[in-house]
This record gives sequence, structure tokens and C-alpha cells, in this order.
Amino acid sequence: MAALSTIAQPKLSIRSRAPSWRGAWWVLFWIAVFGLLVLPIFLFLLVAFSPALFDQGTAWFSLDAFKQVMTPTFLPAVVHSLLVGIGAAIGATVLGGAIAWAVQRTNVPLRGLWGGSMFALLLAPSYLIALGWERLLEPNGVMDVLGVPDAGLRGLIYGPVGVTMVLAVKGLPFAYLAISGALGGLGDEFAAAVRVHGGGRWDAGRITVALLAPAIWSSFAIVFAESISDFGVAATLANDASFPIATYTLYNAVQAFPVDFPVAAAVGWVLLAMAGIAIFAQHRALRGRTYRVLSGRSRNPRRHSMPGRTRAGVGVALGVMVLTTLGVPVFGALSASVINGLGSITGSHAFTFDNYTRVINSPELHEPLLFSVLMGAATATASVTLGLVAARLLTGTGGKISRRMLDLLLLTAVALPGIVFAAGYIFTYNLPLTNALGIHLYGTPALLLLGYIATALPSTTRLLVGTVGQVQQSLPHAARVHGAGPITAWTGTALPLLARPLISAWLLTFGGTLLELPVSELLYPPGQPPVAVGITKALANYDFGGGTAMEVLAILVALTVMGLTWGLWALFAPAGWRRLGAAA
Amino acid sequence: MVGKIGKRALPMAAAAAVAAMAMAGCGSTAAVSPSGSAGAGGSGGAKTPLVVYSAQGYDAAVTKAFTAATGIPVNLVDDSTGPLLTKVQAEKNNPQWGLLWVDGDTAFASLDKAGMLASYTPTATLTAAGKALAPSDHSYIPVSTTVMAAVIYNSAKTSTVPSTYDDLATAPYQGKVGMNDPSQSGPTYPFIAGMMNQLGGQSGGMKAGEAYFSKLKSNGLHVYPTNGDTLHALETGQVDYGIIQSSAAAGEVLKAKKSANFDPKVVYLPKATLLPGVIGIDKKAPADVQTEAKQFVDYVLSAAGQKVMQTADQQGDSLYWPVVPGVTASSALPAMPDYQRIDPAFWGPLEGQINTWFDSTIK
Repeated sequence: MAALSTIAQPKLSIRSRAPSWRGAWWVLFWIAVFGLLVLPIFLFLLVAFSPALFDQGTAWFSLDAFKQVMTPTFLPAVVHSLLVGIGAAIGATVLGGAIAWAVQRTNVPLRGLWGGSMFALLLAPSYLIALGWERLLEPNGVMDVLGVPDAGLRGLIYGPVGVTMVLAVKGLPFAYLAISGALGGLGDEFAAAVRVHGGGRWDAGRITVALLAPAIWSSFAIVFAESISDFGVAATLANDASFPIATYTLYNAVQAFPVDFPVAAAVGWVLLAMAGIAIFAQHRALRGRTYRVLSGRSRNPRRHSMPGRTRAGVGVALGVMVLTTLGVPVFGALSASVINGLGSITGSHAFTFDNYTRVINSPELHEPLLFSVLMGAATATASVTLGLVAARLLTGTGGKISRRMLDLLLLTAVALPGIVFAAGYIFTYNLPLTNALGIHLYGTPALLLLGYIATALPSTTRLLVGTVGQVQQSLPHAARVHGAGPITAWTGTALPLLARPLISAWLLTFGGTLLELPVSELLYPPGQPPVAVGITKALANYDFGGGTAMEVLAILVALTVMGLTWGLWALFAPAGWRRLGAAA
Repeated sequence: MVGKIGKRALPMAAAAAVAAMAMAGCGSTAAVSPSGSAGAGGSGGAKTPLVVYSAQGYDAAVTKAFTAATGIPVNLVDDSTGPLLTKVQAEKNNPQWGLLWVDGDTAFASLDKAGMLASYTPTATLTAAGKALAPSDHSYIPVSTTVMAAVIYNSAKTSTVPSTYDDLATAPYQGKVGMNDPSQSGPTYPFIAGMMNQLGGQSGGMKAGEAYFSKLKSNGLHVYPTNGDTLHALETGQVDYGIIQSSAAAGEVLKAKKSANFDPKVVYLPKATLLPGVIGIDKKAPADVQTEAKQFVDYVLSAAGQKVMQTADQQGDSLYWPVVPGVTASSALPAMPDYQRIDPAFWGPLEGQINTWFDSTIK
């Protein structure tokens, strides 16, 4: 009896003051979400109906922007975007899932390399992947110089197949990380139960895939939304291949002068509708089911031991995959930055580090790179923290309306291209009214940071949803029953289960922010350019060697940070934390 | 019920993150204020920083030299023309820029039409080309000029050199000519508008120009995104002739390693369309900032300013023809070619329509 009362007492005392605290924290969370996402997106989309609102026209209410968008050329572009988005999402999810499975659940050789290459791939901007393919396959390109017949492949890549493939490759890390996170938390017990009850290997596999459904749908939704909003491929490969996609219309609206924000906002509505379809599909598929499989009793999955020949075959397949996905953009960057005139008819193809020494010695690089590293770290920390809460809300059982709202909001933010998102930030935080209230955020690093967080939050949240959805709440609950405070309960039970995916998400956000361009361009504070702006400027000034050298250096910095982080994890993380989610 | 307790720690952490963000905001604002607008009217005698939005390759050097010469601090936003114009447009109801400095006068004509520019007549006199480029209401100031287009060709592969634009549509040039996409390359629209102006005039509308580009297309014209891509196509032998901006062409001749396969040379065809480097002053900027912007214009047009402009980006934007008498162009440039000036107030508003036509018909 005495023992019972000591357990029950703290619980009661906390309960008595919990409602006010909890309410206040959630209010703060929603204020952050409102300021970061709701207001900028809403105000930007409002311009489609009311151009006069932000001095972008004279009409207070007009549907002209929609009429301009609904031209005979635009509709095929929307259909193209839809098809390319679905193709890229399916491709990335299947391939990413297969890689995650091979790395997490089999004894395939060089597992660290395949996982690491997914991170590296994330750092390659989509235009660099497209550029790599173009360098290889263009007329008189590298394949032609080497005498490899490539006309057939060229026809394929310079068209819908190539566009879909590049977007799928760009989505691959998202798919891999979403699925591998969930796979790490899924023990063998469910598959074992199927086998015990007479099910075959196929049935066990089916159950595993079914249990991974939230992660698979997460992966599908995020790759789809990322693909339909991508600018890099729209402006390069799709454009060169005369294969119009919706974002190109938007690109034309914001690149031409005078900039047509109402039309850009109208395209935004179309992209939003497409993202809505993905959300709807996800909800239909997951409705009414629970996927909480991570508990105190979860067992580490057993690594499937493949026979020698299969193991080598899978290893080679992964090698080819990394070579084609990562090798091509790396080649694209290197061909321009290290090797003189590679793939051209100009001279000797000599190897040179001139561009690198020039860039390293230039003072214009150090500060932007350092600034971007700091902003990337701050963005990653804030996004992972907010993303964790958002993921918890999305996978929770309560607050159906707020859950739906947050879900739609996050996918909307992914589906809207960065440049219009940044414009929304200017509309919102550069209002004369905001300034009159004494809020001067525009033109400061603070607004750039908020813009980065808003851009990163949706994908960070999606990456965490898979694993967070697996954590059974009985764990922190049990800790509280045993007298732990809320923070101790969470750090003692949920954190060990989530540490690995949290670090993955942090690194991913860090890497993504380091080379983020559209938000950087429109929101960077005067005199403090982030590194992506410097790179683009160099490329725009025909300094292809210098620009790509800066890009390669920035990627190296990101990879170093990643290597250091995982190294520190291996050295200092408690053994139990490291074991969780890693197959035996 | 399950999960309610566990939920509590997370929003606390999120709130901490929000607080950290807010602190980051405060900290950074404070960090910016000595050179930012917050420090403007505060302490006596301190000059308000001039916010310069510029896409010029030499802008960092020029703003630094300007500050050294005048003591006026400058906050530079250095980016490509496209994003800068997007920023200016998005800020329309509360502009943050003091001075905008990019290539091409069509955008400035639009800004002027929208009443966004403060007029100013610089103290320096201008050359004939400079005078031709200056608008009658002095709403913006041309401070240099390039031309669009220069035809760069690989003399190692071809000895056939065009002397008119019509030549490019004939048999010897079939499948060998490349140009930029006006939707992605800022300097290319003035070239297309220039051809339309030259062939049909403002009264003839766009028809004659459209017919010319259709002929080029029938002759196997290649369209690449920007100057850099067209140069890459020239280097890789995909084309033998590239229609690009004069500064990019002259820069390529300086930079390229000549070989038995590649030896770029440049020819100018009559007529080349002037593509000026232009400065505009924000009409909504405070009076003291407008005064500083005017001082900046005068500095840029002075001998000292021109010297910095000509030395800071010698293989890029420094390759321009000066519009002030007494300053000679870089030795890498020939004498100013036979040129025309197109009326930005007429051709500027047609940009969207013509680019759409080009994208759907020619590309």
C-alpha cells in the first residue's frame, strides 16, 4: 500500500497542474506553425484572387490569374506534372525501400557506404543531377567523345522518362530515410508470428510491408510533393526536352518582368490541389489503423544472411545504383570544376585544381560558407524539434481536425516551390503594418532562418512520422507512473528509440539548408549572402568552374559534418541507443 | 488518454525551440543594426546605409570604393537580375532597396511606369550612346553599355563569317547556330525585340521579326538556356556560331584556351542592340537615402568609379563600353559596333507575349 501511494502521488500532483502548462505549450507550438507556414502561404495564395492586396495589381477581387493559367498550353503541363510526380514517387519509394531493406535487413557488403551515399545524394541539387546526364549524353558529349553510341539513351533521357528518373533519384534519399527509419523500429516478431501460424515467406513479407504502410505513404507523398514543385529539372532537362511541366509556367511568371505574382499564386493553387490528392490517397489507405510497433518488448530484427552469390549480386546492384544516381551528378560537377574541357573539343582535358585554389583563396567564399553552416545548424535544430512535435501530433489519436490541418499544411508547404514561398514571406513580414508595429524581420538573418525552418519543417516532419508513429506511448507513460518527470520520462524512454532517426533528420535538414537557393536568394540579409547565392552568381556569370568548385566544397563540408556526427555517435552514444534500430 | 502525458514534454521542447528562434531573431537584428536601417536615425551624424541591389560582377568593389571615397556605408544585395527584380516587385508596398543596378532598361521602364523611380540627371555628360539610352524623364540612369548580340564563332572549325543577320538563315549555317532562351536569359529578350524593331519597326509590329526567327528555326537553330550554355555548346562543337551578349563573348575569347580545335572569335552584325547597365533610385526611399543614391550615380560615372568598374571583373562584366566621354573601353573590346537603341517603354510591356511566342514556336 505504501509502495502504491509513492507511485501514485507524483502522477496526481503533475496532473493537477498539467492542463494549464500543456495548453500553453501547444498554443506556442501553433503560434510558431501559424507564423512559419499558415500566414505566408495564405497571404501568397490570396494574391491570386486579390492582386491589389500587396500592390500587385489594381483589382481587389479578380479571377484573371486563373484565366491566364488555364490556357491550352497549361493543362498538358499540369497533366505532365501529375504523371511525372506519380512516376517519381513510385520509383523512389520502390527503389528507396529496396535499398533500405538491403542495408537494414541483409548482410549485403559495404552497408555503411550505401546508407551514406543516400545522404550524399540528398546534397546534390536536382539541376546538378540533370546537368550530369546532359554532360554525358549531349551531342558531342562525353559518351560521343568516348565513342559510345548513345542516341537511343539520349532520346529517352531528354524526355518524360529522363525527367521522371531525375526526380525519382532526387526523391530517393527521402524514400530511403522514411522507410529505413520505420524498418529499423520494426522487429522480427510480427514476421515470426506469421511464420509460426503457418504463413510462408511471402505472407511474412506482406505483413511487414503492411506494417510499414505509414512510412511508405509518407515517402510517396513527400516525393510526389517535392517532384511537382521542383524547379531545377523544370528549368533544365524538361525545358531542353521541350516537355512542359507546371512549375515552368510558374517559373516564367516569377522570372519575367514585371513579375506576375497573381499568376504564380494561381499555379500555386493548382499544385496545392495536386498535393491534396496525395494527402487524400494517404488518408484513405491508412484510415482507422494503428501502426504502433515500437515498445519495450521490441526485438532487434535479425539480419537475413544471403548466400555468397546473391550477396555479391545485391552488392553489385547497389554499386550500379550508386554509380548512376550519385556518380552522374558528381561527374557533372567534376567535369566542370576539375577537368579542363572534359567532354569538349577544346584541348587537352588536363586535370587541374585551379578553380579550387581560386575559390579557397577568395574571401568571398569563407564567410558565406560559414554563415550557411551556422544557419544550417540552427535550422536543423529548430526543425527537428518542431518536426518531432508535429510528427507526434500527426501520429497521435487525439485532435482529428488539428491533425488533418497540420498534415495538409505541411504537404502544401512542400508542394509550393521555394521561390513563391519566399515571396510569401516578403508579403507577410514586409508589410508596412508589421513595420509600424516595430517588427523589422525582413532583411535580417532571423527571417532567413524562419524561412529555412518553414522550408525544412515539412520534410523533416515527414521523415520522423514513420518512426514516431511506431513508438508506443505506454513507455513514457510507465516512466511517469514510476515517478519520472515529463522530460526525464521522455528522454529515458522515447529518446533512445528516436535518437538515430532524429540525428538522420538533423543531418538531412542541415545538408538541405546548406545549399538551399530560392529562399536564400529572396530573404538573405544585405551583406551576408549564403553560399548558394554565391554559387548561383558564379554560374550566372559564366564562371562554371568556380561555381561548381564552390558547390563541391560546400558538399564536402556537409559530408564532413555528417561523418563527424556519426563518428561521435559511434564513440559516445550509449550502447543501448546504438543497438536500437540496428539489425543484429 | 494514452499518450497525453508523453505529449507534454514535446511541446515544451518545441516552445523552447521557438524561444531560441526568437532569441536568434533578436540577436541577429542587433548584430545587423550597426550597418542596417535600425541604426539610421539614432546617433547624431551617423549616415544611413544605402541599400544597393545589384547584379553587376564588379559591384562589391565599386560599393567598397564608394564608401571609402564618401564615407557613406553601403549594404549590398548582390544577386542575379531575375531574383533581384522578383524581390523589388515583392517589396512593392514597402520597398527596402535604395538603388537598383542591373543590365537592361526594359525593367526600369516598367518600374518608371509604376511610379517607383526617383528621377535624377547626373552631373557627368554622356556620350552619344549614353544620351540615346537616357530616358527623357531621367527616371533611370545608363552608366555603361554592352550590346546584344555578339556572334561568337569557332574560327578553328569554320572560315565562313556572317556579315548580316540574314546570312545566319542561309545554307552554310544550317544546324550550326545557337542562341539563348529569352525565358531564362535576361539579355536575350532585348536581342529578339531588337531584331523585331530593326526588321519591322514599332509600326510593323512583331511580324517581320517572327518571320526571321522562323527562318532561323527552319535552318536548324539551337536554343540553349543562357550565355554559359550556348558557350558550352560552342566549346563542345554542337554549334559553330553562338548569338550571345557582348561581354560574355569577349570574356570567352579572353578565357578560352586556344587549340587546333577551338579558337573563338567575335563578329558584330548590323545592327547590335544596346543593352545598358542601368541604375534606378527608389522613389519611396527616405530623402537622405535618395541623396546618397544620387552621389553613388555620380561616383559610378566619375573617372575613379569607372576605373573600379573596368578592373574588378576583367573577364566578365568589366567588358563594357563606357557612356562617359574620356573613358576608353577595355582593350579586349573593339570600337563600339553599329548599334540601335530600342524604346523600352514600347518593347518592355511586350516581353511576356514575345517570350511565350518564342518558347512555343521557336524553341
